[in-house]
Amino acid sequence: MPGASTDAPDGAVPISLSGPERSVLAALRASDELPIEEGRLAEELGLAPDAVRGSLQRLRSKHLVAVEEEHWSDRRLTPRGEAALANGLPERRLLDALRRPGGTLATDLGAVEGLSDEERSAAIGILRRRHYLEDGLPFRLREGAPGPDESLPEELVLKQVANGEEEIDEPIYTVLERRGLVRTEHRSRKRWTPTDEGRRMAIAAADESLLGSLTPELLRTGGWKSRSFRPYDVRAPVPFITGARPNAYAAWLEEVEEILLGLGFEQVEGPLLETEFWNNDVLFMPQDHPARSVHDALSVEGLSGHPPPEGLLARVAAVHEGRSLPGEDRPIGPGWGVPYDPAIAARPVLRSQTTAVSARFLAGRPTPPFRVFSVDRNFRREEVDARHHIEFTQCEGIIGEEGIDLRHLVGIFRSFAEAIGIRELKIRPSYFPFTEPSIEGYVRHPRFGWMEVLPGGVFRPEVLRPLGIDVPVIAWGIGIGRLALVALGKNDLRELFADDLAVLESGGE
Amino acid sequence: MTPDRLDLLSEGGLGIALAGALDLAQGLPRIPEGAPDRSRGARLLVDASTAPLRPVIAGVIVESPEAAGLDEGLLTEAVRFQELLHATVGRDRRAASLGIYPLDRFSFPVRYALEPVDGVEFVPLDGAERIRGPEFFAGHPLAKRYGGYGRWGEDCLTLRDADGAVLSLPPILNSRGSGEARVGDRTLLLESTGIRARSVSECLGLLLLPFIARGWSAVPVEVEGPGTHRDDGRACVRPRTLDLPSATIPEILGTPLAAAEVERRFGRARLGVRPVPHGWRVEVPVWRPDLLAPVDLVEDLAIAAPLRPEDGIVPASRTRGRYRPETLFRRRVATALLGLGLAAPYTSLLVSETAARRLPGAEPVGISNPVSAEYSYLRDRLLLSHLEVLAHNTRHPYPQRFGEVGPVLVRSAPAESGAETRYHAGVVVASDRTGFAEVAGVAEYLFRGVDVAPVRESAELPGAIPGRAARARLAGELVAEIGEIHPEVLGGLGVPVPVAWAELDLTGLWRLLGRREGD
Repeated sequence: MPGASTDAPDGAVPISLSGPERSVLAALRASDELPIEEGRLAEELGLAPDAVRGSLQRLRSKHLVAVEEEHWSDRRLTPRGEAALANGLPERRLLDALRRPGGTLATDLGAVEGLSDEERSAAIGILRRRHYLEDGLPFRLREGAPGPDESLPEELVLKQVANGEEEIDEPIYTVLERRGLVRTEHRSRKRWTPTDEGRRMAIAAADESLLGSLTPELLRTGGWKSRSFRPYDVRAPVPFITGARPNAYAAWLEEVEEILLGLGFEQVEGPLLETEFWNNDVLFMPQDHPARSVHDALSVEGLSGHPPPEGLLARVAAVHEGRSLPGEDRPIGPGWGVPYDPAIAARPVLRSQTTAVSARFLAGRPTPPFRVFSVDRNFRREEVDARHHIEFTQCEGIIGEEGIDLRHLVGIFRSFAEAIGIRELKIRPSYFPFTEPSIEGYVRHPRFGWMEVLPGGVFRPEVLRPLGIDVPVIAWGIGIGRLALVALGKNDLRELFADDLAVLESGGE
Repeated sequence: MTPDRLDLLSEGGLGIALAGALDLAQGLPRIPEGAPDRSRGARLLVDASTAPLRPVIAGVIVESPEAAGLDEGLLTEAVRFQELLHATVGRDRRAASLGIYPLDRFSFPVRYALEPVDGVEFVPLDGAERIRGPEFFAGHPLAKRYGGYGRWGEDCLTLRDADGAVLSLPPILNSRGSGEARVGDRTLLLESTGIRARSVSECLGLLLLPFIARGWSAVPVEVEGPGTHRDDGRACVRPRTLDLPSATIPEILGTPLAAAEVERRFGRARLGVRPVPHGWRVEVPVWRPDLLAPVDLVEDLAIAAPLRPEDGIVPASRTRGRYRPETLFRRRVATALLGLGLAAPYTSLLVSETAARRLPGAEPVGISNPVSAEYSYLRDRLLLSHLEVLAHNTRHPYPQRFGEVGPVLVRSAPAESGAETRYHAGVVVASDRTGFAEVAGVAEYLFRGVDVAPVRESAELPGAIPGRAARARLAGELVAEIGEIHPEVLGGLGVPVPVAWAELDLTGLWRLLGRREGD
């Protein structure tokens, strides 16, 4: 690293100065006419101005000196302008010639002495544009043409420029500049002064015994007490440090969980590989429902599951087949009209919805009131793209207590959406086999538009009664990944699975 | 429009629903009764031979109110809707299938039977020449796809008219002529066969919709047999009734509805309704199989006046929110990983076939119906995912250090599904100076955080350098695996520096800690 010193710890960069830089900085510090022009400084040091200028620029890049730059413009007459001021502008001389006695003047403009052909043509043009000349030939002045004592605007401006006046007619000045009679000179000067850091450095630079690293030896002996420390260039590049930060998506999921904790929900958890019984049957999903086919659910190789407890299996089978629950004389409903197959119930399947977790909780016959949630992974046989992923996270929640109803579910959706910063929400009727009525909340994504992410409803009696639950239960399974896209400003569900170390270490999301 | 409302997927059904929503018509749509002479003698005779394969059949005769009969639009719509019903209620024709036949080109009674394939000969609907049964089953694409539902050994299902002409081979294909409805036909037989009465009647009831919406009349066809069984078929056209107790409405919607409002909403939903003691008796048309129970009726009431976000009520909380203690335990470990300066990836449980095969000897569970090779195995250790992280980051400067707490799936015969979800904490260090000692030190640091001191033992671990891998046990239970990755594995990943890893079984550790607390 340029300028690095081997006796500086941890990559710190001591400020190093060349001999000329040291001299310039010392002179600046000693000068009593600050800020000082670089030419003046060069004189004081007896050095070439270019050498001083180079040192000053390098000191400036080290933040040791500051510069004030002054810019201004000077307006001056050109040699032609000076001649015109002395002898008269071509148009003035033409006017004078036209006023001479007897002077209809004249097709022969050669009579105007001292004007070149070009000047004569220009002067005729100017006088014609200003309507000082009669139409046609010979040339003749009109009434009202300026007399010998009346100044032309150009004459006035020429005099003002010659006198160094600043308040002048700019459009006329521009015309004169174009005619080559006046010119503008842009000028600037730089004046230098040392910064506070520069003043300190000027003192330190004079000291040959500066300390680099503060060594254990110096600390032990107290040798540092009689010496000064070499200053560092505190603006120099430093080593690129990487660190650990919570994964953005995981952290956001925890925020979601915190919101639910605040609403009085208790966390529950269930297995990711379920049996069809818990994933579907207990939720009153017909065993031949298309969503349970191999085209939608993910099954596994070489594993065999076990049936659920016999009593529960019998009760769930009864509602599927439209029979009365054991011990009851009337069926809850007509069921699905499909013979229930316990062998299907025992098949392992990757959990496709966290409602299975709620079902397991309800099977434990909790005492109302209860509120539980689960933010966890689920799996569906989806082609992976920006809006779909085979592995996705749902935020499942249920509330069971007397008097809970559909309006409370809408209230939960609304307060949840507000808590995660979503303002635009709409509710539509929907359908899920295990809830009735069912609704779906939609939120707006800047790129995807309205997205259905808040599905829920009131659990059907066919779900609750076999589990022994006799209070109404509202339930929802929020597509939290899609909400994360909105909240984290992402456009692709695949981005939630983060393994790019450059992004993770830089704290990006 | 929701997936259970198949009626709304037909133009006729949508028209009926819209008429209600726009207050152009109210209540249950009337099904005009057909002329008795058209259905005289109409019978479907069911042979006992169908019992083991596809025993249920039902039929309805529909008749056009106009002399012009069937037009192109209705024919197209009916065929489109028929195929949609095959795919949904019919479960891809397995549970039920439908046929449409012109009454003018066959004669009743129609016989439904299982008969030898050899004896069948007909012109398929999409063909021009007669074909024998064996050739049809051997070569026709629909026979290849659906033949299993209509064939039993050397026999197949047939529908033949009184003259023995083949109307169709359920549930595969109709015949040309007697099994082909055409523009101009005035009277049609809608027929459904299947394995369950309910699926058959649902299919038939829904297929009626395009015709009923266009003013066609409908007459059920009597079904006879096997044996003495008789069914007048009226259930195929007659509305059923469902009782809705008044109390169910406020229980679900949160607010009671006035009687007039209940009647108005059901009327707009195109359902019939009349009051009965303590509630309502609702008449449900045959094309609304989605209405199973009182709660389904309440949903129709709710849809008639949808809820808005501002209608929501946040229920007062009477419970205390809390995490599972095990979750908090995992969080503590995850925080410790961050404290060690490890980057925090978030990886999926599903891994690719390539990832699953990286470690010889590992046994991740495979997906039997994967969408792609990229997501075809369930990791049994985080290391499978973490090696992929290394492979994806070979252009990132080393050293690389990362860690994650996440789920894995481990085979377990006693588990209900045959495998157990466990949570692991994985740490990976890729550096020219790393080795077993560094990651073992990390593991011990994590163990000290929960006040345990497992014992390391030498082990042969998949993908590890022999002699540089260990298992850590606590009270005899495996709680961690630690090691250096074998250079052969690193070569496959394209990683140019040594890699060491440690993986802690947090589920096992939590159980052991719980057991210790219990002691």
